[in-house]
Amino acid sequence: MIKVDLFEGGKIALRSLGTNRLRTLLTTGGIAIGVATLLAIVGIIQGLNASFEKQLATMGTNSVYIAKRKFGGGSDSWQEARQRKDVTADQMNAVKSECTYCTAVAPNIWYQADVSFLSSTINAVQLIGTTEEYIDVSSYHLAKGRFLDFSDDADQKSVVVLAADIAESLFPSSDPIGATVRIDDHPFRVIGTLERRGKLLDANWDKAVVLPLRTLRGYWGAGKSLTLIVGIDKAENMDRAVDQLTGIMRRARKTPVDRDDDFAINRPEQLLDLYKKLTGALYGVITGIGLITLIVGGIGIMNIMLVSVRERTREIGVRRALGARRRTIILQFLMEAMAVSGVGGAIGTAVGLSAAKIISLVTPLAADVQVVTIFFGVGFASMVGLLFGIWPAARAASLDPVEALRYE
Amino acid sequence: MLISLQDITRHFVVGGETVKALQGVSFGVEKGEWVAIVGQSGSGKSTLMNVLGCLDTPTSGRYTLNGHDVQSLDDDALAKIRNQEIGFIFQTFQLLPRETALSNVELPLVYRGMRPKERRERAKRALDQVQLSNRTHHRPNELSGGQRQRVAIARALVTEPSLLLADEPTGNLDSATGEEIIRLFEQLHKAGHSICLVTHEPKLAARCPRAIRLSDGLVVADGPGPRVAADQLSMPRAAS
Repeated sequence: MIKVDLFEGGKIALRSLGTNRLRTLLTTGGIAIGVATLLAIVGIIQGLNASFEKQLATMGTNSVYIAKRKFGGGSDSWQEARQRKDVTADQMNAVKSECTYCTAVAPNIWYQADVSFLSSTINAVQLIGTTEEYIDVSSYHLAKGRFLDFSDDADQKSVVVLAADIAESLFPSSDPIGATVRIDDHPFRVIGTLERRGKLLDANWDKAVVLPLRTLRGYWGAGKSLTLIVGIDKAENMDRAVDQLTGIMRRARKTPVDRDDDFAINRPEQLLDLYKKLTGALYGVITGIGLITLIVGGIGIMNIMLVSVRERTREIGVRRALGARRRTIILQFLMEAMAVSGVGGAIGTAVGLSAAKIISLVTPLAADVQVVTIFFGVGFASMVGLLFGIWPAARAASLDPVEALRYE
Repeated sequence: MLISLQDITRHFVVGGETVKALQGVSFGVEKGEWVAIVGQSGSGKSTLMNVLGCLDTPTSGRYTLNGHDVQSLDDDALAKIRNQEIGFIFQTFQLLPRETALSNVELPLVYRGMRPKERRERAKRALDQVQLSNRTHHRPNELSGGQRQRVAIARALVTEPSLLLADEPTGNLDSATGEEIIRLFEQLHKAGHSICLVTHEPKLAARCPRAIRLSDGLVVADGPGPRVAADQLSMPRAAS
């Protein structure tokens, strides 16, 4: 019997939509706008998240970063963090000799300087001072020539490895290997070039040069405290490795037992958490706006359903006289409401996905739309219809058949 | 006994005042009878018709229709009784304007849960019975008044109900078309259908084998149609 109710309800609903085309279309518009807004927003948010995760992967997936401070500040107080001891070469050596999960350990210090070759100069290039193991723990890959070796650092050689953008800008047509570039007027011999690595937020990995750590310190005196980039053998050992590294670092730094860690072992995922924290509230607000639009659309549905019930009062009376039960009437009107909003959802989905696509084509925002979103759009719209159709449908079913038959 | 009414009352509260539309109506109708219920407007005949049609429940009294104790039934059960036991014929036809004649006739069978193929066949047969087999795909606005009422009669017949309940079936028709419809009722009566016909027209009541006259919510006359109708033609007098 319920099957008959559903089938008949659906048939009646569709026919009713067909007879009031303009009205249906207008009502549908409200829902369509709501769904389109919501989907475009969701698409853009998904796109942003996906692109951030892609950027994050450029840090190297199985690496941790040991430094004085936490990424993004965290809960450390600035005062306390400033007074912390530096991370030194001794601590690095302790990690190298004691860590059992570590595949490689590379120290990192940074500086910014201008890099030039002949008459062309690139300003504010990221200098990365490190050792030969850096190539193993970063996601850089060698393109040409060779990477740093042990003696480059030990002998403080003036050699440099160029990242992709620098190599292409300074040497558009010639081979950079063996050439001499100037970094803040100090001559450096190019020993290798790197493949593209990508960007992380506003940091461009490809606008950088890599040189021996001691050389960088020697010329610029920068970076007293090291950041240790530690490669971990397997992703599943990550937690154990972090545990072990904490112990090694505390011992090496002689951190008193009753004090918290005065250093941080950063994982790339922490940046993701930070990113989510920063953007979460914003996304919440935008999604809220989309939902409100949908509620406005839902009220439109409710309004039109109430009109529909009034217009068809006599029809309801006739149906009741001929043996329709209350729930049959309720189902009929609920399905009508769901059909109107479902159509709106379908239109909105099409518009919203197109909008997301267009936005990703004409702006730097990358929209990412998944197939489930489409079902989500139509399904969600139908749910709105169902919700806002309940009251009108209940009103229709509660009509007294005698009164309904007499209604003019 | 098809219908048994025992001391039926129906009171409405309108604006704080109680209106006693039925004040204790009792009568019975046998299977195959054709009964006219007559009375002037305000006599309670519409209320009685709603009670008989299970569209309304009496305030007190006992109503049995074809063995069902109607006053004890809930809303769903009443819907089922209306669907299975009663065929309604209204003064204003009450066809669904957007549906074809055939779909209109099919409608009660839909609520019975019958398969589309079977109900289409039965609806066609019912339209055949009222000589409208050539109008199955017309919508009500493409049919004349008489044809519309015949579609409505087909819709009432299609469920093979135990009672045909007609409310002023000729009220919206010209006299020639009205005559056509009355002839159809006569045929249905001969074929064995039980009919209750509510009307204020003495001429129509006079055509029925039996008539019951209501006045102020009470039965004031019950007898052969021509006699009760004639009573009404002269000055109303108290029930004997």
